Amino acid sequence: MLKKALLALPVALALGVAANAQKAPEDVLQRLIDSIDSTYLTQSEMNLMMMPDSPALWLIDDGQELFHEARGPNNVSLETCDFGKGPGVLEGVFVEFPRYFEDAGRVMDFESRLVHCMKTIQGFTDDDPAIKTKHGNAADITKLQTYVASLSNGHAWNPPLDHPMEKAIRDAGEIIFYRRAGTMDFSCSTCHAATGKRIRASVLPDSNVPEEWTKAVSWPAFRVGHDNVRSAQHRVSECYWQMRHAEPVWGDIGMIAIISYWNDRARGQPAILPDMKR
Amino acid sequence: MFKKTSLAAGVAAFAAILFAGGYAIADAQKVDFTAMSAEELAEYIILESGGFHLDAAVQEGGTMRARMEQDDLQKACSVVGGGKPDAATLEAVRAAAAASITYPEGGIKLGDWQKGRELSWSGFGYRVGHRNDDHSASRQPGGNCANCHQKVSDRDGGTLGPDLTGYGKMRGTSDAMLKYVYDVIYNAHAYFPCTQMPRMGAKGVLTQEQIADIMAWLLDPESPVNK
Repeated sequence: MLKKALLALPVALALGVAANAQKAPEDVLQRLIDSIDSTYLTQSEMNLMMMPDSPALWLIDDGQELFHEARGPNNVSLETCDFGKGPGVLEGVFVEFPRYFEDAGRVMDFESRLVHCMKTIQGFTDDDPAIKTKHGNAADITKLQTYVASLSNGHAWNPPLDHPMEKAIRDAGEIIFYRRAGTMDFSCSTCHAATGKRIRASVLPDSNVPEEWTKAVSWPAFRVGHDNVRSAQHRVSECYWQMRHAEPVWGDIGMIAIISYWNDRARGQPAILPDMKR
Repeated sequence: MFKKTSLAAGVAAFAAILFAGGYAIADAQKVDFTAMSAEELAEYIILESGGFHLDAAVQEGGTMRARMEQDDLQKACSVVGGGKPDAATLEAVRAAAAASITYPEGGIKLGDWQKGRELSWSGFGYRVGHRNDDHSASRQPGGNCANCHQKVSDRDGGTLGPDLTGYGKMRGTSDAMLKYVYDVIYNAHAYFPCTQMPRMGAKGVLTQEQIADIMAWLLDPESPVNK
């Protein structure tokens, strides 16, 4: 066993990116903390201490089992699902969303793509609990998403913008990010365009600082205050609720435009997957 | 409840140039996203695509659609990438904001600082989605002040806005000061055009009486803010 590990070591060192991807989420975060002076990244010492024991890590195992299990009316696994790098490829796919898919004719975020595969490959419908239940640790979607996301831990965000639709939707997302509306005249930029500012006691991430922003967009994450693993779509919905705006429809174009811009702003910085948040 | 602000010509003209023509879309199936400008596509996504829950009922009456359609100030003050619009636009925003302010009959007076304390701390009100704020219950919408402003040391306020600790100590309670603070809470754009601060009076979030209570919290010598 030891011999095998020693033999593997030089290989891992040679493959710099792969070695980075094998780091634990807390190691990825620690490297970011070491690289920049950020009160956002360091605001919760307790979370940093708890990350190695994050409940989200259990969901990775559950998700892995679910992913490879024959399920649904068609009794097949998700192993043939194409997340953008070919059927069955899971390593590093999560950080390259949202992405345009020819077979669907639209730009999809990861969760939309997962649901698409559960429908087209496994035969689930919108009314099946496997798809219908979107929130919380117990949801299949949360488990599956946490598993696939964990295989992109430490990979740099790199959402594709080659297809004209990807570019158009990302650019619209940028406009939406700065678009003030509603009871309080808020936009996303009200809270996320300055460094080290707080809402009450919470330090806000700055979209102009990619080293901070990668943590902000690194979902799924165990949300300590909710005692549940949450998704990017859940975070967007929370922000829209606080902004007193209309909630984006889950999986629809508004949500995807926002997430396209989000992920683009974290470009080049390593994703922390799964993360832990307040 | 939501009052329309009277608009200076400058803002109206600015908005007309930006949004002239629009994007008449007859058939959603035929929409070519790549043929639109980013601004057109964003407006389409928010108001036409069905991508947002615009039919949700809102506390002030009507639906979310009215909240998501920008008024002239919101259009003028939305600057992609951050920063402020040009000087002429800012002046038009400022003038329209000043014209939006209405005053209590009998003049501006300080209210009850204890009520103001609760109002300034409360972030309740007007939220709609997975949980709706029920204004008809015992709680009334709050001022949300502490979300962004630091006021006293016993509870942590935010830092998006200026620190208001000891606000009344150096300023006193002259008529000019009362008018200034009332104006800023009612519609801060009258002094700081395209500020991030919500228009608490002009948008009907706070009543004139509630504004007077929050003013007392800031200015009353007895208020803990000034101790």
